[in-house]
Amino acid sequence: MRKVAIIGSGPSGCFTAQGILKARPDWTVDVYDTLPVPYGLVRYGVAADHQGTKAITRQFERIFERQGARFFGNVTLGRDVTLEALRAAYDAVVLATGLSGDRDHGLGRAEGVIGAGQLTRALYDHPDAGRLPDVRGEVIVLGNGNVAVDVLRLLAKTEAELQDSDLGAEASAWLAGRPIDGLTILGRSPAAAARFDPVMIRELGRLQGVSIRVADLPEAGGDKLIEALDGLDGLATGPRPVTFRFGCRPAGIDTDAAGRIRALRVEGPRGPEVLACDTLITAIGFCCDGSLGRDALMAAAEDAEAGRIAAGLYAVGWFRRGPRGTIPENRAESLAVAQRIVEEVEAAPPRAGAGAGILPAGHEVVDWAGWKRLDAHELAAAIAGRCRTKITTRAGMLTLCREKEDAR
Amino acid sequence: MNIVILYGTETGNAEMLAEDIQADLQADHAVEVANLSDFDPGDFDPERLYLIVSSTYGDGELPASAQPFGAAMRAQAPDLSGVSFGLFGLGDSEYETFNQGSLHLQELMEAAGAALLGERVVHDASGSDLAEDLALPWARAVVALAETRLGAAA
Ligand SMILES: Cc1cc2nc3c(=O)[nH]c(=O)nc-3n(C[C@H](O)[C@H](O)[C@H](O)COP(=O)(O)OP(=O)(O)OC[C@H]3O[C@@H](n4cnc5c(N)ncnc54)[C@H](O)[C@@H]3O)c2cc1C
Ligand SMILES: Cc1cc2nc3c(=O)[nH]c(=O)nc-3n(C[C@H](O)[C@H](O)[C@H](O)COP(=O)(O)O)c2cc1C
Repeated sequence: MRKVAIIGSGPSGCFTAQGILKARPDWTVDVYDTLPVPYGLVRYGVAADHQGTKAITRQFERIFERQGARFFGNVTLGRDVTLEALRAAYDAVVLATGLSGDRDHGLGRAEGVIGAGQLTRALYDHPDAGRLPDVRGEVIVLGNGNVAVDVLRLLAKTEAELQDSDLGAEASAWLAGRPIDGLTILGRSPAAAARFDPVMIRELGRLQGVSIRVADLPEAGGDKLIEALDGLDGLATGPRPVTFRFGCRPAGIDTDAAGRIRALRVEGPRGPEVLACDTLITAIGFCCDGSLGRDALMAAAEDAEAGRIAAGLYAVGWFRRGPRGTIPENRAESLAVAQRIVEEVEAAPPRAGAGAGILPAGHEVVDWAGWKRLDAHELAAAIAGRCRTKITTRAGMLTLCREKEDAR
Repeated sequence: MNIVILYGTETGNAEMLAEDIQADLQADHAVEVANLSDFDPGDFDPERLYLIVSSTYGDGELPASAQPFGAAMRAQAPDLSGVSFGLFGLGDSEYETFNQGSLHLQELMEAAGAALLGERVVHDASGSDLAEDLALPWARAVVALAETRLGAAA
């Protein structure tokens, strides 16, 4: 019987485990995560008001509850266990650790300049997130992708529109109390080249408290995105001004005496402009935060396209591809890599490695049952109008994972 | 009864559900599961009952694995009179085009002359129901309808 270790329990790690166990139900598949909780960006990236998208976790649960994968939460690759040790202990190791650093915008640091990853992790109660930042005044969201739309939508929503989300009490109060004068979503490319999903743009048409203006828009000419943007222009359901700007290349920021941003200078479609800006949220993509030597590993990969780094070492998801692509793309890729792993592992002599036996003695691992205890607690503790209340610290998570039902 | 469950999926929910339905029905019936991406409209057999399970993607479109089937149905325009099918849709009411993919499959099948047994039943990912809690009773009801028909025909 062969053993595979998958590092990272986000969509790409889960789909890889699913694919391997579907082909070889008797193999040992161990899924590790640095957090005590599974699912990666499904829990901490997919928007709190998109619970339907998060329902994919019902499928992932099966991998652990019926297909026999084992969960090893609270185990950090590079700290609690090394890649070398894992490779010796398993027939194959799959890196599925994602990419979570905010890509650098090159505008320099200042008070009030915030990465979208940093903001969403704080909003969604990621245990390693910093405090909720000081978002106020004229807010510009820089970026033309779906993460920028998520941020805009959450900041634009009224409390009533956040019903049934899994935002915590603190994040909810923070959103409700934001002293925002205006929201601008600004992209460097022209509207026709924006990476927004037209469906997500149309979703903004249901916002209840906004007055939307879409500037810099060309003729639609049958383009779905332009049509969707055109449909938003002029929407007036409430007081909060929302503006779309396109073709504006950021050129620099101006700060006040206290070091806080007060303006964003852009090269606009009609020349240079200075836009008043008290908060700049950059949603221009993600990058490697330097951990695990990712860039060097992928650069040296034998067949990076097919997810093979070296014999017995594979990569999937955002870790392999870079920070692009949605859950469906991860599935297609992970299932293909899973098939390749099955073929290559079977063609190689068995390793008879120690598997999870290499974990340091005394290290507290969260198993599936532990996560389910925490999950049940979070669901039961949901405050009014919410579907879940996440535990926000690792220590708090570990305590609840540990607690047996009968001890409560 | 000889049953084929065909699924159209993009993130695997419909595939999982197809397997759940298979597990539920196979004690009493011969049940096969196939991805719509591997199924040709020319293979429909009036002797079998087809249970189609499909999600919706993009802007109310068919999910990736059902797209080739949709294209083949349009291109081949097969005569499916005598073929019976049930239809279960997966979708999310967050989207205005809620479950239009499965509706589209229904239209394609009916235009080709196939007969829908019972109602098309849909699941909402933003709702509180588990898909299998809706789909298993749906599948049993469709099978019962098919059996009554067969009985009536015999
Ligand atoms: C803000 C945001 C919103 C998004 N919204 C959507 C959406 O609505 N729909 C959609 O389809 N896609 C969405 N995406 C994209 C989607 O989240 C990604 O495609 C997907 O999560 C990538 O999966 P992954 O498994 O590669 O990485 P992740 O989901 O990031 O999973 C990586 C996992 O590895 C763990 N890990 C990291 N380092 C270590 C380590 N050293 N040791 C052990 N474990 C480690 C992490 O804790 C995490 O659980 C969104 C992305 C973001 C950032
Ligand atoms: C990008 C995207 C687009 C979607 N579009 C629709 C839609 O237009 N209508 C709908 O009812 N559901 C839509 N859904 C929801 C899916 O149909 C639902 O999540 C379903 O459970 C997915 O099943 P699958 O995993 O079998 O593909 C969409 C989901 C995503 C991620």
